[in-house]
Amino acid sequence: MSPELMLTKATLAAYLGAVTLSFVYLAYKDEKWNRWMLNLLGVGIALHLAAFGFRIHSFWQIPENRYFLPINTFFGALSYLALAVCGAFFVIESRHRLGILGAFVLPWASLSLGIAVCAASPEISGLAPALQSYWINIHPMVLMTSYAAFGNAFGVGVALLVQEHQIKSRKPIALCYRLPSIEELDNLNYRIIVMAFPILTIGIIMGGVWAENAWGRFWGWDPKETWALITALVYAGYLHMRYMMGLRGKKAVYVSMLGFACVVFTFAGVNFLSELHGYLSKG
Amino acid sequence: MQIVVAGLSHKTAELALREKFALLARSEVARKIKAAQVSDAVFLSTCNRFEIYACGFSNGADGPDVLLRFFEDLIGKNSSKEDLYLYSGSEAVAHLLKVASGLDSLVVGETEILGQVKESYEWAKNEGLTGKIGNILFQRALYVGKKVRSETGISVGQTSVASVAVELAQSIFGNLSESSVLVLGAGQMAEIMIRHLATQKAPKILISNRTRERAEALARNFKAAVLPWENRGEALQEVDIVLSSTGSPEPVVTKEMVEKSLKNRRGRSLFMVDIAMPRDIEEEIHSLEHVYLYRLEDLEHIVAKNLEGRAAEISKAKEIIESKTGEISEWLKALKEGREVSFKHSSRPKMPRTESARK
Amino acid sequence: MKLFRSIRFNIILGALIALLSAVGTFLPQTSTSPDKVEFYRLLHPLGFKILNFFGAFNLYQTWWFMGLLGLMAFDIIICKLWNKPPDISATALPPENTNEEEIEKHWSQREEALRLKPFQSSMDSSLAFDEAFTKARAFFERAGYAVHDEFHSPAGAAFLATKHRLQRWGSYIAHIALVVILIGAFINALYGFVEMAPVMEGTTVAMKRRPWTLSVDKFTVHFYHGTFQPSLFSSVLRVKAGDKLIGAKTIRVNHPLDIHGVRFYQASWGAAGMFRSVTLNLAGSFLTLRQRVPKKVPGSPFSVEADVLMPDFTVANGHADTASLDLKNPAVRFLFSIEGKPTPPLWLFALYPKVCLKENPDGTLLHAEAPPFSLVSVDPVLFSGIQVAYDPGYPWVVTGVLLWVLGLVLLFYFHRRRFWALLEPGQNGKTKISIGAWSSRGGRDFEKEFNRLTGEMKSHLDFK
Repeated sequence: MSPELMLTKATLAAYLGAVTLSFVYLAYKDEKWNRWMLNLLGVGIALHLAAFGFRIHSFWQIPENRYFLPINTFFGALSYLALAVCGAFFVIESRHRLGILGAFVLPWASLSLGIAVCAASPEISGLAPALQSYWINIHPMVLMTSYAAFGNAFGVGVALLVQEHQIKSRKPIALCYRLPSIEELDNLNYRIIVMAFPILTIGIIMGGVWAENAWGRFWGWDPKETWALITALVYAGYLHMRYMMGLRGKKAVYVSMLGFACVVFTFAGVNFLSELHGYLSKG
Repeated sequence: MQIVVAGLSHKTAELALREKFALLARSEVARKIKAAQVSDAVFLSTCNRFEIYACGFSNGADGPDVLLRFFEDLIGKNSSKEDLYLYSGSEAVAHLLKVASGLDSLVVGETEILGQVKESYEWAKNEGLTGKIGNILFQRALYVGKKVRSETGISVGQTSVASVAVELAQSIFGNLSESSVLVLGAGQMAEIMIRHLATQKAPKILISNRTRERAEALARNFKAAVLPWENRGEALQEVDIVLSSTGSPEPVVTKEMVEKSLKNRRGRSLFMVDIAMPRDIEEEIHSLEHVYLYRLEDLEHIVAKNLEGRAAEISKAKEIIESKTGEISEWLKALKEGREVSFKHSSRPKMPRTESARK
Repeated sequence: MKLFRSIRFNIILGALIALLSAVGTFLPQTSTSPDKVEFYRLLHPLGFKILNFFGAFNLYQTWWFMGLLGLMAFDIIICKLWNKPPDISATALPPENTNEEEIEKHWSQREEALRLKPFQSSMDSSLAFDEAFTKARAFFERAGYAVHDEFHSPAGAAFLATKHRLQRWGSYIAHIALVVILIGAFINALYGFVEMAPVMEGTTVAMKRRPWTLSVDKFTVHFYHGTFQPSLFSSVLRVKAGDKLIGAKTIRVNHPLDIHGVRFYQASWGAAGMFRSVTLNLAGSFLTLRQRVPKKVPGSPFSVEADVLMPDFTVANGHADTASLDLKNPAVRFLFSIEGKPTPPLWLFALYPKVCLKENPDGTLLHAEAPPFSLVSVDPVLFSGIQVAYDPGYPWVVTGVLLWVLGLVLLFYFHRRRFWALLEPGQNGKTKISIGAWSSRGGRDFEKEFNRLTGEMKSHLDFK
């Protein structure tokens, strides 16, 4: 086993450990679980960065790949996505002190890395000529960063639904008092989307500029492009409904979850539809 | 250098007797302590307990005996020995930790007592009553009190209807310092509710009552504003929390009123508490989006649940207290033998983040 | 007009566009994969007819889809012109009016106006009125605020302090940007063109949309070791208008040639069935053949001719065919004759030396015994797929993109803040100061900032 794969598996173990701890923390009010969860997550992120370093090193053994980032395969993309979700959570947690949300966010990161380890081939291949552009270091990275933020927003949304249901039921369990309040979760969900939406659209536009450079068109209604546009439309709808029409709470979360479903489909599902953007196609 | 505690509490003494002790002036007690040649002492006086911790007695004196006589001195001979409890050595340490942790309180795990212990200790320290052992002992006790509360569920869940309502409001709005409250009715329940809200710094409290005078009287006490009774429907647009406890036979807040107000609330949650009998707020309102209506029985149900939950955590709390008592006894023993030992964690434990953010 | 002004209508329109675009991704599109459309037609003749009637296989270019996009652009403009976003800052305190009478009226309602501000605070300064006013003003200026709309009256004074006022325009800029991008797209759809020009190495072709000719002098392709995955392909391209050379460059993917806005992209490449030579291994000795040139095998009664190359050999309806123009599985047909008498043609494969297919007179194929010779290498003549694109909407799109980025950054990453300050002379030469504030920043976060700022102000104004 290559050191990269070994490190990646260790990362996965650390992430899964952090997920377990986050659930323990959800169940037992004891700060030490939160501390351990964050420590383990920090270790996981460090291991992940190291694994990424090894991947870059072997990726650059092929001269044509040099100085481009290895996210042209499913494995590379999923792995980077998991790293971005964890990193975003780490940043948001430390700013807003919301470790309690780990149980709602980290499982998605672990799932992403889990799929990478179990189902995707970690093999390294040469970049197709179309991908040999500095844009590959920017366009997918920017987009996946926004996906990671949307993943965090999705976790916050789940927490909001749980909290709302608890309070509406009139029989709240202890968890109710541990979670942040409805208004705070609602606000956080909105704030994350507000941060991520410009990143998403700018990422899409960068894709257009790249496409103009490589294929002579900004926009070709390729399925991946189309789905990215749909995702942006859904989130734009969310922002307008919220800002202009005062949509909040449960229904706003449903809209943002629809947006996240589009993100997931754009990221994973479209590979079966798109010829240009497939992680499996020759590009 | 033996630690001794003598005292009485709701568990041992009648209310009438406890009241007598509660009424004693602090300076008077302090003066008497000094006069009795007891040093390194802290006394704790609340409406539920009065107790004195001490570990410095004049040479050859029997600590427990001194304290017993001291109690007689304080209020004359009308307290019998059955009303008192007396512990010494590690038992006294364990008792202090129990008190600080709220295990000895009427409502298990209540947090007020920790503040009272802290305040009493600091007062005694300023008065020059405490010495080296007392200082460290009480600082440890405060630390353990926090630790027990943060690591067990002993203080989880509020135990009164009003505080449950406030906690639910916090679960909806977070920090209440931005929330406005509409209080319908100006009776005793309304007053209790407002008192609880006032501790949470809710900035705007509107009181509305059919007879305006009573609302005004209540408003004066709490820096609240008075709202004309007819305007309560319009006020629903602005406020976040509605507390209703009128004696009206008819509902005073109808579904129609709330539905109308929701149009202008832009999705902000509305928390309504109805503690009146018969009901003040129409039950169907709960089915509206963004509205959460709690009735008296819902709050009572939560209180009962919370008390059950706290009771289930007692054994965990006792474990912590036992191990910490051991640590302190070790330390005392070492001190006696002239060795210096320090505690592993002398820093204060962090309070849970979400909790502290709410305060 | 009322309908177009409604945001709800615009959101429904957006949802409709999203839904239709989504449908389009599940159907093959003529513009990207014409072969799949054809396949679909054969598979579901009736479904194809119905869907094709609505233009579903060219969905994004249909008049009604374009129309929806245009309507959306129109609607965005209408919405932006008529609807102001809800803005609590709009409730005026005295400073915001120029009309004397109005100001006096507002002044009398100042308490009420202040109460409507989401954040309020008041303090008493021990400073005298004039000094307090100057210091309060200076305080906001030092904190990075622009102070304007000063107002003085015998009863007191007021001013408005703002920061990041541009944020307000973010939304407008972003929406204008969308419209500009759409205009660019329409200009491109009307006046732009895209033309595919496959050019064989060493040949010249004429363009359809411009009176120019393209010549590819040399085409190069490199592969990753041991695969048919290309690592690089490039063409030495010359473009001529008549006899005049107007552009020359070695183009490769991501590095096009640009002549007056017409850009020449290296889009694809392939083998079309022509080759310069093939090499056979005949029991240890090598024989090189040119296309359709028979050659005698030395020391034998055979002569052999290589006539057809399939770059990506496959069998379709029992006949030899090519699946693509990529060199994925090159196969060459050989015609052998013994003393002038032809034998059935044989297919040999460059990648699979053990396989041999025999072709019947009707073109059907049969497996044959592995022959005592094999195909060693093929030197195919490649064509370079050059895509010529002209996009007169380009400057519009670029402008729109830049505006979009600017608008969103302003809208979402900056926070507008407005502070109203009312100063009134109080008793004993003191001054009463009331502060009201609003910010586009969310409640809780601004609350902290508000408390910090008013706290600082308090200590600042009490300092003598």
